[in-house]
Amino acid sequence: MKDTLVNVENLTRIFDVSKPWLNRVIEREEKKLLLAVNGVSLEIRRGETFALVGESGSGKSTIAKMIVGLLSASQGKIDFDGIDLSQPGGAEMRALRQRYQMIFQDPFASLNPRWRVNKIIAEPLRKFDMESSESARHKRVEELLELVGMSAKDGVKFPHEFSGGQRQRIAIARALSSNPEFIVCDEPTSALDVSVQAQILNLMRDLQDELGLTYLFISHDLSIVRHMANRIGVLYLGRLVEVADGKELFRNPRHPYTKMLLNAIPDLDMTGREVARPDGEIPNPINPPSGCTFHPRCPIATEYCKREIPSARNSEAGSVACFEATGD
Amino acid sequence: MSDTLLGVKDLVVEFSTRRGILTAVDKVSFDLERGEVLGLVGESGAGKSITGSAIVGLIDPPGRIAAGTVHLAGQRIDNLPSEKMRRIRGDKIGMVFQDPLTSLNPLYTVAKQLVQTILTHKDISKKQARDRAIELLDKVGIPAADLRIDDYPHQFSGGMRQRVVIALALCADPELIIADEPTTALDVSVQSQIVGVLKKMCSEHGASVILITHDMGVIAEAADRVAVLYSGRMAEIGPVRDVIKHPQHPYTKGLMGSIPTITQEGDRLTQIPGSMPRLTDRPPGCAFAPRCEMAMDVCRQNHPEEKDVGTARVACHLMRKEGAVA
Repeated sequence: MKDTLVNVENLTRIFDVSKPWLNRVIEREEKKLLLAVNGVSLEIRRGETFALVGESGSGKSTIAKMIVGLLSASQGKIDFDGIDLSQPGGAEMRALRQRYQMIFQDPFASLNPRWRVNKIIAEPLRKFDMESSESARHKRVEELLELVGMSAKDGVKFPHEFSGGQRQRIAIARALSSNPEFIVCDEPTSALDVSVQAQILNLMRDLQDELGLTYLFISHDLSIVRHMANRIGVLYLGRLVEVADGKELFRNPRHPYTKMLLNAIPDLDMTGREVARPDGEIPNPINPPSGCTFHPRCPIATEYCKREIPSARNSEAGSVACFEATGD
Repeated sequence: MSDTLLGVKDLVVEFSTRRGILTAVDKVSFDLERGEVLGLVGESGAGKSITGSAIVGLIDPPGRIAAGTVHLAGQRIDNLPSEKMRRIRGDKIGMVFQDPLTSLNPLYTVAKQLVQTILTHKDISKKQARDRAIELLDKVGIPAADLRIDDYPHQFSGGMRQRVVIALALCADPELIIADEPTTALDVSVQSQIVGVLKKMCSEHGASVILITHDMGVIAEAADRVAVLYSGRMAEIGPVRDVIKHPQHPYTKGLMGSIPTITQEGDRLTQIPGSMPRLTDRPPGCAFAPRCEMAMDVCRQNHPEEKDVGTARVACHLMRKEGAVA
């Protein structure tokens, strides 16, 4: 089954982080550019959960925002169900926009504190003219609240009356209200406590089975990703270094950075597995290292890696961007 | 046990608010041996940080220690006047906080902050203090410590800053270090480096550590014993291995099941229904009873006493005197 829903090709985003024009002239400085996402290509298949992992500054959230259209891409192309998202305007875009939604990290910031929950969840319904009458909308909101495990009566309350986990449920209900096929989840549980996190992750999986959703799941936590994702993409400094099936990635990581991340996971099963401490830190993206950006931290880097940038090599198991990686 | 460094007994911390008195920490007791790392885990609002602050006497009004005692190396420290307590905090207790940027002064170089701290506590020359500061920075793993010591905090990355904070906490050779979520603000790969540094430094200096965190992974790696707090009360305390592999308290069981691990197969995580009660409406009896699948009538009426179960101490009505109920 290879039914691509979202196809991203050579996606690049450059941020201008220079000082204001006058300062640059006086201090004789060049423009400073930050390459947040650098030539990322990936495809997300219908019905799967594709996860992006990486440390802070690796470009995870920037990719998510570009896919939902909150940021424009500097270069590259995003296709949704075969339609190039940069092309359509007006009514066609509105119809398309209805089909993908986003869940944000912080449920305290993503809900309007002055609106009642009913109004928050009904907003996409109103925007997309989905239900004809007020009473039909009201009924739909009640259904959605029950779908995410809350009471229909909770609709008249304000967001501050709920705990973090319940607010994230409200955010999920809002994302589901326009009947989307594709949901981008940007660290949906990192602001929550573990016991609540398990509830939300279980809910998301149940909804996926029930409604046939496709997820782009963004996280920095490999064990959550292992639990949620069918396929995983590992980001390092804006580049996709490895893409593989979930199980395969954990059984047989090929890129040295993936290996390093896996070794750093704490040993919760108490198997006595040696936890290797990684060396170094993610470099400053304004001044990335030459060649393969991972070479200063890489145990198997050669002189060649310092000069040349590896491109992704595809194989059956996935793709990996490394000269030295074995296991194809 | 003669080698007990810290003894906390029946500690109660209360906050008076407009809506009445909040009991943030309710009769928490534990001992800490010399050289031991004790983990304090719990969800937000479980009282982990308040327990840490109460030990060092940093509870600000309207909060207060309402009952209980804290002994450090045989000396009672919870009722000392603030000036005396300040000396003890400086000499015997080091603290590492979550956000390294807020625990360093951005206007002073790292050298100035370290040297000043060392000179306050040790009777040595400025030159010796500086040498010692460089040695400490080197030990916590800052490359080219003799050059970087003259940098300002903003010139360090997050992980490096947290190393500086650890060095700062070790300046006065404290006997006890309280680390409050030391790795929460850091990336995964850096997080495990910091846990390693903290553990190494403390064993080299022979300091005991109270490691406060919500992350069981950090506990599994660093701690010798772990105390699980729930709604301001102790749910379970015991050796890390036993608590993680064979949790006794239903809350600990649920908590361990809800953490996804990389070796675990299967579709669903165990989930604990509901969320932790607010401190204002903590139920009578066991605080966990409304979320507990195995709750009995007695759980809803009486608060369970702590009982010894194997190597652990558990506060649950399910526990009989001999062993656990499966």
